[in-house]
Amino acid sequence: MAVLPFKRKKQETFVEDTGAMKGSQNIDTKKLKLVIRVSNSSVETIEKRDKVLKIISTILVYAFLVVMALVIILPFYWMIITSLKTDTEIRATTQTFWPQIIMWSNYADCLGRFNFPLYLGNTLIVGIISTIGTLITTIFAAFAFARLEFRGKDTLFTIFLMTMMIPGEMMVITNYITVANLGMLGEDNAIGVFAAMIVPFWVSVFYIYLLRQNFKQIPNELYFASKVDGKSDWNYLWRVMVPLAMPTLISIFILKLMGSWNSYVWPNLVADNENFRLISNGLRSSFTATDGNPQYGLQMAATVLVTVPLLLLFIFFRKYIMRGVGRAGIKG
Amino acid sequence: MEIRLVNLTKVFPGNPKKNIPDTRAVDNLDIVIPDGKLIGLLGPSGCGKSTTLYMIAGLLEPTSGEIWFGDEDVTRLSPEKRGIGLVFQNYALYPHMTVYKNIAFPLTNLLVEDPVVDEKGNKILAFYRKHVKALPTEIPTHLKGEKVKNPFKNGREEILKFDCSHIAGDPILDDKGEQLYVTRKRHLTKIEMDKLIRETAKLVQIEQYLTRKPNQLSGGQQQRVAIARALVKRPRVLLLDEPLSNLDARLRLQTREEIKRLQRDTGITTIFVTHDQEEAMSISDEIVVMKLGVEQQRDHPQEVYNDPKNMFVAQFLGTPPINMFNGHVKKGVLTIGDDVIREDLPKDLDEQDVYVGIRPEGFLVPADKKDYVFNINVDMIETMGRDISLVGSHKESIKPSFKAILDADTKVNVGPLAVGVKPNKCFVFLKDTEERVI
Amino acid sequence: MEKKNNWKAWLYLAPVIILMAVFTFYPLINTIGISFLADYDYTTGTSSGFTFDNFAFVLGLKGVESGGTVSYLTDVIQYAIPNTFIIVIVTVPLSIIIALLIAVGLNSIRWVKSVLQTIFFMPYVTNAIAVGMVFAVIFESTGLWNYVFGTMGTDWINNGASSANAMFALCVYIVWHALPYKILIFLSGLQNIDKQYYQAAQLDAAGKFKTLMNVTVPLLSPQILYIMITSFIGSFKEYSSVVGLIGKPGTSGDVGYRNMYTIVYYIYDSIAVNQTHYASAAALMLFIVILIFTLIQFKVSKTRVHY
Repeated sequence: MAVLPFKRKKQETFVEDTGAMKGSQNIDTKKLKLVIRVSNSSVETIEKRDKVLKIISTILVYAFLVVMALVIILPFYWMIITSLKTDTEIRATTQTFWPQIIMWSNYADCLGRFNFPLYLGNTLIVGIISTIGTLITTIFAAFAFARLEFRGKDTLFTIFLMTMMIPGEMMVITNYITVANLGMLGEDNAIGVFAAMIVPFWVSVFYIYLLRQNFKQIPNELYFASKVDGKSDWNYLWRVMVPLAMPTLISIFILKLMGSWNSYVWPNLVADNENFRLISNGLRSSFTATDGNPQYGLQMAATVLVTVPLLLLFIFFRKYIMRGVGRAGIKG
Repeated sequence: MEIRLVNLTKVFPGNPKKNIPDTRAVDNLDIVIPDGKLIGLLGPSGCGKSTTLYMIAGLLEPTSGEIWFGDEDVTRLSPEKRGIGLVFQNYALYPHMTVYKNIAFPLTNLLVEDPVVDEKGNKILAFYRKHVKALPTEIPTHLKGEKVKNPFKNGREEILKFDCSHIAGDPILDDKGEQLYVTRKRHLTKIEMDKLIRETAKLVQIEQYLTRKPNQLSGGQQQRVAIARALVKRPRVLLLDEPLSNLDARLRLQTREEIKRLQRDTGITTIFVTHDQEEAMSISDEIVVMKLGVEQQRDHPQEVYNDPKNMFVAQFLGTPPINMFNGHVKKGVLTIGDDVIREDLPKDLDEQDVYVGIRPEGFLVPADKKDYVFNINVDMIETMGRDISLVGSHKESIKPSFKAILDADTKVNVGPLAVGVKPNKCFVFLKDTEERVI
Repeated sequence: MEKKNNWKAWLYLAPVIILMAVFTFYPLINTIGISFLADYDYTTGTSSGFTFDNFAFVLGLKGVESGGTVSYLTDVIQYAIPNTFIIVIVTVPLSIIIALLIAVGLNSIRWVKSVLQTIFFMPYVTNAIAVGMVFAVIFESTGLWNYVFGTMGTDWINNGASSANAMFALCVYIVWHALPYKILIFLSGLQNIDKQYYQAAQLDAAGKFKTLMNVTVPLLSPQILYIMITSFIGSFKEYSSVVGLIGKPGTSGDVGYRNMYTIVYYIYDSIAVNQTHYASAAALMLFIVILIFTLIQFKVSKTRVHY
């Protein structure tokens, strides 16, 4: 077939060919008899062997996954059964995989050391207020970054994203000094301590990024249409964008709530008074390893109390949680 | 390699819970694809042509039926063992590999067969020639189960072993009948691969892009790479899935000629799938027209065009498409409205309403015969350079307007016009089965 | 239009900018500042001037005098830095490889896939402290681990444990806790890979392992890079898992507790005893190390990662 002129031109400008290997001119490729890697066995044998191999590989894959799943699930199981064992059984040299005597009383007893309702209340207060605050700031910022035009937008957004790389410890040190010097950390200063646990967490760059991506997917036409209808940006944000981004907002809400439930470092620094502690701090400080007899039964009962609400949240909002978490990796 | 599809059926199971019925993508397909030919599977989307291709490739398992490559039943054989090259619609080139590595990838999984002098076999052969005259097909009965001292004992055992083929592959006697050879399998050397890759690249004219990554290539170049990747392993069959659909119009023309050339040069049985009838007509040795999983017609492209079996085929092939009219048959006479079009229909055909299809090039202006004229109304005349296209209307036309292609010199005016109809461009179809009568 | 929007946009951004100014940008600068102040006391805001000694102290270059002897072996140089590096070197590759295998396995099956997927995600929704305490029970000298592996009596995490044992237990817990996120990211990456690449590889007679190494892994490289960077950063900052396993930082001076001492652990210890200048110096160095690691990975990825 004819070589079109444009192609010839390309040939001249891009000679990238590294040239054939030495000795290749002696090879007559026509004499090479290429075969697929199969023995001379008949089709039936190949078929049979393929089937067997497929079954074996499937079994191996399942075996691997099931073993790994057991490894993952074992600590949960161990937590639950240990929470129902007597202390002697826990410390026995022969470990049992099912409690000999089921000690429901461990749960009642653990509450004597671990003030679950108090910590639960504290955590919910901090969690919900900081989550609502985050949602509001995130919605505003994401809207500005996704829809509005202003000078320095891209620079600012890049700076925001870059802060995600900075270890939080850099900030924690000064933030601790700030709240301490503002007199927020007193033994009885409930408002101060709670404010210190909430306000610094009203911003999350990651969620701004997540929501901005979501807002950006909403077609421009909707925005222009609402402009034509004479709606203000404010109106458009709350009437159109927020409802459309609801799934992402729910994801953020749940993940943020989970974050409060799991936060340990900062509350541990600022909440000295045991009545202000959040659940993780309460849990750890109720069972320090130094008291000689760790009373693992009670300890595990308390960890069950801390773990179960999260698992329930996960079961009910699995879709939102996994989507919110999985979103991060898509961008790469 | 001749390919035979026998009663090939593919049913995609539906979901009874959600009230999704089963889909019969391919229904009892019987096709013989002759060795070394280029065959186009043609049909509208959803006609099962891609499913058929994927079943030939082995990527989909047929619900029932058989696929034969020559005299080998490959129905249950996994794809990699069938020896096929498949060019995917979106090429599926590995984006992280250079063109060179993309083409090399299939080669790294292949082995090459070399003839090697069979030392052991030759020894046995010599032994046999010296001591035994005829190769025993079985151990003589009187020696069975007995420990008789037998001078040929070792020899026979070796001969028997030799029969069982001590090395994979059948030993081959050379032309002179003196030396035995066996085939040994080994990996390709780097140099052999290099040569093969470069030869294939040359064949599809992409030698200069070997060091590039696929995303640095245009669509047409990517497609050549995909073809090279499929061809480099010397497949028994080459399968192309919508090979031209991702290319722009100019590249399409160029590429389809090239596919034709490649197929002729390599002589590989090639099957390609397309929904574009022009594409299929222009390059195929034969086309298979499919509809809803059922083969409608298989023949040389021109034959299918000239002699469509049914209304679907007639309507599917040809641009502009065939014009359809409501007609009537009575005692071998075909009429549209009040006009007699043909009188040569079979006399034994019952009187009935029929569909009449007339190809756009099937009109004669002026009408050649005074007796049979087709009175139409010319609404518009479109000039197209080489020809003119006449947009007409008729009360029996199925669509609001129809098209006639005429020579550019023809003088026509808008308004009523009596035209003639070429009998070989005028087809009659039954109303119920849509089968063609004549 | 652009001009009209300008002030409005800043209004929308105001809450975030104010909060970030106070709690992100100011602290960043201030912490860097503190790290160069000698004997800084945050309660009074006083210091004895500019110095590099904080870094020298943290790195063990400046001796500490106690009881007449000068020791260069600080907790940081003796425990925190080596432990942190061990955690990084052990847990990052291990958790990535295991997570990748699990994700590839999950992606290849259909039956009970979503059940397994849910199980593999469970550690993500657990409290690091709570599960850490569970692992502490498992690694007790009479605990499940010793029972199953017949090493009854071996001390893994308590005062008598060797540092190797302690690091082992800690790494087991960290890997366990790190898997779900990685699996989820890899799985969503795998699901985005066009199935035709696998079909092409199958037609080219590439085996399963070859397909994994030559097709799956390269096509998953963006996710692998992302996970590598985030898990490097994460494991450099390991802290909560230590707290979960062995308790509140700073409550015990026992050597046993130093076995799992990490850099971040040291930072929080130093804040608690009003040595924020040392904490700042350590945090700044941690930041720089993380930055260097991240930049190296980006550089390497340029040739290796296909986007």
